[in-house]
Amino acid sequence: MKRILPFIIILVVLGAALGSAWYLTRTIPASQTPAQPAQAPSSQTTPAQQPVVNKGVPGAEPAHTLGPANAPIQLEEFGDFQCPPCGMFHPILEQMHEEFGDRLRITFREYPLPTHQHALAAASAAEAAGIQGKFWEMHDLLYEHQDEWKEQFDVRPIFERYAKQAGVDVERYKRDLGGDLVAQRIFQDGRRGHSLGVQGTPTVFMNGREVPFENLQADKLRLVIQKELQAAGSSK
Amino acid sequence: MKKLYIAAALLSLLGLADALYLTIEHVTGQSVKCTITSGCSEVLSSPYAVVAGFPLAAIGAAAYFTVFSLATLAAFGYRAAGTLLTPLISAMFFVSLWLIYLQAFVIREFCQYCLLSAAITTTLLVIIVVGRFVLKPASV
Repeated sequence: MKRILPFIIILVVLGAALGSAWYLTRTIPASQTPAQPAQAPSSQTTPAQQPVVNKGVPGAEPAHTLGPANAPIQLEEFGDFQCPPCGMFHPILEQMHEEFGDRLRITFREYPLPTHQHALAAASAAEAAGIQGKFWEMHDLLYEHQDEWKEQFDVRPIFERYAKQAGVDVERYKRDLGGDLVAQRIFQDGRRGHSLGVQGTPTVFMNGREVPFENLQADKLRLVIQKELQAAGSSK
Repeated sequence: MKKLYIAAALLSLLGLADALYLTIEHVTGQSVKCTITSGCSEVLSSPYAVVAGFPLAAIGAAAYFTVFSLATLAAFGYRAAGTLLTPLISAMFFVSLWLIYLQAFVIREFCQYCLLSAAITTTLLVIIVVGRFVLKPASV
């Protein structure tokens, strides 16, 4: 019996470890992914498997989009410019944009998180540049140079430099930064995010359903998009 | 010597719990993604947190479980298990050093549960070194 006891102990621990891992990874995602909140406030009983993003409150209009309005794949990203995983997702999304071209339409929604000191400033900077038609240029600069600004004390001069690089009239950009439109747009995007139950960033919706975070890597996202394209009737 | 194996087994259980917690965080995107409530960790969302498609934390959990198994067997008199502990824990220690280096100089942010794991691994190494070279005798 003594010779078997250690094996029994080991098996018990293995069972406990696997069991708790399974249990804890099963229950948590249910509250994370907004399968239900997407249908929420007006509470109609629609089937839980197909939450429709149209049920969310509209965000800032006109939205910042890349790609044709009638593209079969509509991706909507709620992003925070200071968020490291968002920064890492940026090149992946760019790659998808290159690979899928006109079949993909990307929309960006501002979702600056309170835990990030400069997130709101960055969102404002992007929106101010957007007023002059240079949103995506500013968006790219902010994400690509995340490491350069996120730990700085005063980001305003840095963002002004990016704005100039993006090609805007810097004086006008500075005025717009403090204006109502920028604040309103960020507020509206945030309200849309809240209505969809967005808990963090990056959160990506594809044709109305949230793409699980673990699928936001290039190879997995490509597969997800391809499957959706097949389902929609086109082929690559 | 047996007491050292028991200590190693208990310590590795702590390491296993720590690594499991990190694995769960990783898999559920809890602290990998940035959330409104709990912020996010640069360390856990860095590319270094994934090895060949697996969360590094999961590999760590497997390593701790192996240490636990070997230490338990060794405590019950299985000598071969005891000898395997040294190379395994040494390897884990060097990996820990590399991860601390990454946190300190590349990512430039620390993750407390990761540091806890490094402390556990270091302590395990001390235990094994003491057992092997200090208490050496024939019992090892």
